[in-house]
Amino acid sequence: MTEFFAYAAMALPDLLQGTVVTLKLTAGALVIGLVIGLPLSLLRVYGRKLVQPVCTAYLTVFRGTPLLVQLFVVYYGLPEIGVSFSRMAAAFITLGCNSGAYQCEYFRGAIQAVSKGQMTAARGIGMSRFQGIRHIVLPQALRLVIPAWSNELIAMVKYTAIVFLIAVPDLMNKAKILSSQNFAPIQTYVLVALIYLVLVGFLSLVLHGIQRKLAVPGLDAGMEGR
Amino acid sequence: MKVMTFVLCGMLMLGLCLTGAASAKDTIVVGTSADYPPYEYTDDKGDFVGFDMELIRAIGEKMGKKIKIVDMGFDTLIAGLQNEKIDAVIAAMQASEERKQKVDFSITYHEIKDAILARADSGIELKSVYGIAGYKVASQTGTIQEKWIQDNLIKTGKLPEENYFSYERVDNAAMDIKAGRVDVLHIIADPAISLAEKNDLKIALITTEAVSAGQSIAVTKGNTELLDAINKAIEALKADGTLQALMDKYKLL
Amino acid sequence: MTPFVTMLQFLLPGLGVTVSVTLIALGLGGCIGALMAVFRVYGNPVVKGLAVSYSVVVRAVPVVVIIFILFFVISAFIDLSPFMSGAIALGFASGAYQTEIFRGAILSIPQGQMTAARGIGMSKAKAIRCIILPQAFRVAIPSLINEVTLVLKDSSLVFVIGVPELMRRAQYASASTMEPLLAFGTAACFYIVLTLVLSRLLETVEKRFAVQF
Repeated sequence: MTEFFAYAAMALPDLLQGTVVTLKLTAGALVIGLVIGLPLSLLRVYGRKLVQPVCTAYLTVFRGTPLLVQLFVVYYGLPEIGVSFSRMAAAFITLGCNSGAYQCEYFRGAIQAVSKGQMTAARGIGMSRFQGIRHIVLPQALRLVIPAWSNELIAMVKYTAIVFLIAVPDLMNKAKILSSQNFAPIQTYVLVALIYLVLVGFLSLVLHGIQRKLAVPGLDAGMEGR
Repeated sequence: MKVMTFVLCGMLMLGLCLTGAASAKDTIVVGTSADYPPYEYTDDKGDFVGFDMELIRAIGEKMGKKIKIVDMGFDTLIAGLQNEKIDAVIAAMQASEERKQKVDFSITYHEIKDAILARADSGIELKSVYGIAGYKVASQTGTIQEKWIQDNLIKTGKLPEENYFSYERVDNAAMDIKAGRVDVLHIIADPAISLAEKNDLKIALITTEAVSAGQSIAVTKGNTELLDAINKAIEALKADGTLQALMDKYKLL
Repeated sequence: MTPFVTMLQFLLPGLGVTVSVTLIALGLGGCIGALMAVFRVYGNPVVKGLAVSYSVVVRAVPVVVIIFILFFVISAFIDLSPFMSGAIALGFASGAYQTEIFRGAILSIPQGQMTAARGIGMSKAKAIRCIILPQAFRVAIPSLINEVTLVLKDSSLVFVIGVPELMRRAQYASASTMEPLLAFGTAACFYIVLTLVLSRLLETVEKRFAVQF
């Protein structure tokens, strides 16, 4: 047991460096996902019929394929047609677009959960559709989406793990180097698991607190994975 | 519902049986990392080919055993031996002192050199491996080259850590050199030449500065039976010229 | 068109492996999940604690990490191929999520069911097995169907331990043909087709079996 702690003490600085990158990726991906997902969900609910196939295509591609495949297509595949992203950019873009697809569905669920009567009433007092969405429906929907969105945040921490395959120096990448140089795979990956456990645990606690303060009780759009 | 449960359990059982059948002991499970032409790589049918692959099959013939090849990340090979997931490893692996503490190595079957790969139009000229410190450097996770870079360049502060990238597969690293995402790649010379051809890169340097030992086959520590059999086979292949013929076939340095 | 067709043929063997890994993992995950869910809802504090720890810890860690850990841990005790280790690891991970699915389903069964069962003399175990679980299973079907697609996509992760499934075949194709876009793009198409086909199939299952709310 003591040798595990000795190893942990040696490995921790490197692993923590990787953790910083992991957290940066999580934050970036969520923001990009939000920027894509929210407008997309509005298009899905309120958009014209013509736009729908485009939305469905986007969702099918990003929810119907593994994150890993998406990452490799973006990072290794696109340079073939001249579009070359740096590894961090590719990671942000892939994770962000992927998250956008899932966030779109969460927002859509929340928007649709806001009673139709709200929009009717808004139009009734003379608001345009846009004003109705902006001032009446969205604020309510955003409160309803909090549980699902918190799940997405916590889940994103885990999904960033795969970027080690394109040599992004995140937690997993650092772990692989350490585990092979020290011939200690089980100890290293157990340490990694512990770090993720702490991260997720901490985030869950914080988000749970925020949820209790802000969320509307009763609606939980459920947890999805990749 | 009961039907579904039975079906699911049945699949589980079937899967287990199918794999159980394959662990007879006249098959040697050999681990490798098939991203390293000309030593080990895959052809367009997905079969494992290369100098190491033909060598191990020849060794298997001499020993009268079947060879089963498993492709894993290079950095998981030693651990695979330690946990007895695989019986042997042939992966252009150098018998370094550190590795010798964890696994046992056969006699050397090939002496190697290292090389540095760079983009053909990059104008990078190197006289020594230390020269890569000014660039964005890549190498493969778990290799002697990576350890050398860490000990001699990163830990001494010559190479900032954010300029070093650790790749699971060297063919992906070579593609990244071509795409300009990294400047130099430090790997063994023969794969470097092969990858340079495939990706239109140039060899900026060939050196033995970072070489630790010759290439050997690794087996689980203490498996003297297998080790002796492999050593005998290697000697036999050296004696009857098969080894040299293979080296010529793959144009090894 | 022809490079695409050649690529299709190259990747095809990986398809079988992907599907087998997914099926085994789902089966294993289902057994673990149902068991752990029962522990969580009906168990004494000890097994309850076990089930809770399992569910919380495994869901907090990325599936890749679980695959790596189990790969090395399993191999220390039993001699299994990467294929089986990967499938078991995937099943172990899926089990944690399925625990939550089954738990939600069990909790949604009205308390009256258990009371009635005990009332006619059934033991707790019998009541769980014959009354609660069959109903819970039907309630859980939509979530389980979702889990099927998730496990299918996560099966691509066993690529890291050398299982020759779709992703690894695509990697080989990319390395030997120097055409990564075609290789990985075709793999992506395979997955899309798989998920669409599975969704259709499972939709019919859902219509036949699921409880209509």
